[in-house]
Amino acid sequence: MFLRNSWYVAAADQEIGRKPMRRVILGEPVVFYRLEDGTPVALEDRCAHRHLPLSMGRLVGDQLQCHYHGLRYDRSGVCVRVPGQDMIPPSARVKSYPVVERHHWLWIWMGDPALADPDRITDYHWLDDPAWGAKTEYLHVKANWQLIVDNLLDLTHLAFVHETTIGNSALVEHATVKVQRSHENVVVTRWIVDQPAPPTFVKVGGFTGNVDRWQIIDFTPPAFLRLDVGATPTGTGAPEGTRVSGISMRNLNAITPETESTSHYFWGQAHDFDIHNRATTEKVVEQIRTAFLEDVAVFEAQQVNLALVPDPPQTDINADTGVIQARRILDRLHQEEQAAAARRVAAE
Amino acid sequence: MSDWQRVASAADVRDGEGLPVMLGDTPIALYRVDGRIVAIDDVCTHEFAVLSQGFVTDGIIECPLHAAQFEIASGRCLSGPATQDLRAYEVRLEGDDVYVALTSGARS
Repeated sequence: MFLRNSWYVAAADQEIGRKPMRRVILGEPVVFYRLEDGTPVALEDRCAHRHLPLSMGRLVGDQLQCHYHGLRYDRSGVCVRVPGQDMIPPSARVKSYPVVERHHWLWIWMGDPALADPDRITDYHWLDDPAWGAKTEYLHVKANWQLIVDNLLDLTHLAFVHETTIGNSALVEHATVKVQRSHENVVVTRWIVDQPAPPTFVKVGGFTGNVDRWQIIDFTPPAFLRLDVGATPTGTGAPEGTRVSGISMRNLNAITPETESTSHYFWGQAHDFDIHNRATTEKVVEQIRTAFLEDVAVFEAQQVNLALVPDPPQTDINADTGVIQARRILDRLHQEEQAAAARRVAAE
Repeated sequence: MSDWQRVASAADVRDGEGLPVMLGDTPIALYRVDGRIVAIDDVCTHEFAVLSQGFVTDGIIECPLHAAQFEIASGRCLSGPATQDLRAYEVRLEGDDVYVALTSGARS
């Protein structure tokens, strides 16, 4: 299941250049490149003539030339040259996709181009906000995108999957959890009040006594998970909304389905302490990367089992509340999208 | 005549959320409905789920897992997948102490 009418992260901005790059998104092959003036372009990565990926070709000025028979396409996907013939068949064109560069990522719209409003791009400003240190990363995952969404919405797995890395039993045992939902949003809030700070927090935050820690997970469909984590000294009022003398990080995830069984996992980490020190940024990113690789092993093993027995019965536990609410929103949006598509077909 | 058990302090029962407590061996939850404290079973009659972790809207508790809905004041099942009502319990207030009857029954 894919939601098409949404912006997705397609690439890190520095991945796109004058060498055409192929990436499959929502099951569609897409080729990315930049025009001579730097403008990013995304076209269907399949020549209208004999289906060779256009990404195997090369750029001639601002035109993309197919490696097979040299057909050339302009930035809108229209064929402008067929070697050896003057007339160009009107059907010689490939699909073009709206793209926008924002927060060091290239965003692509996979649905109806008429609905592609850049204002609907989910906010990831922490990635290029001068008040934060930040870095983005990419992981390719051999698992369905919704398994990754589930994982990020239920952090009770931290004590088990990440026992030796970022896990901490206090997260499960001493936490109060609240799930809030709205029409297109789920927020899972976990507070661990008046407990010792974990060693990594002590190192960067210089805490000497107990702290109040928070983990606030914001889910925005289809697969944007923005985590706000941090701590302040106990008694300074963080649970009531005042954050002073503490540290805070954002773990910023944007999952883009590649196929039904594989995903592009874009993520970044931002921190509000020691923001100009690249070594600090590298250290926090390294820590999360190690943990995420532990998660990837879990997703891929789940996917193997789900491929053997599709749609098996499963038991739900109370920690699944956020996951279930998110899946319910996704199912509703998918039904709405299918219904709108059916209406459009009926009207044509 | 019922036997009564003190289960909570009234101040801990807040608007808009259930307070899970044990009544003997039975998990129940206390809610405030129109200023009054009421007590109903805290495990969904559909599958095992702790209802007080669900969503309260307009006097209705929605199961956090499969979205069955119950009227808080009566325990009555309003929508599936559950089909059975929740048991409701008599509640007595003495100062700030909330007492719940150990035997369930119609409250009103």
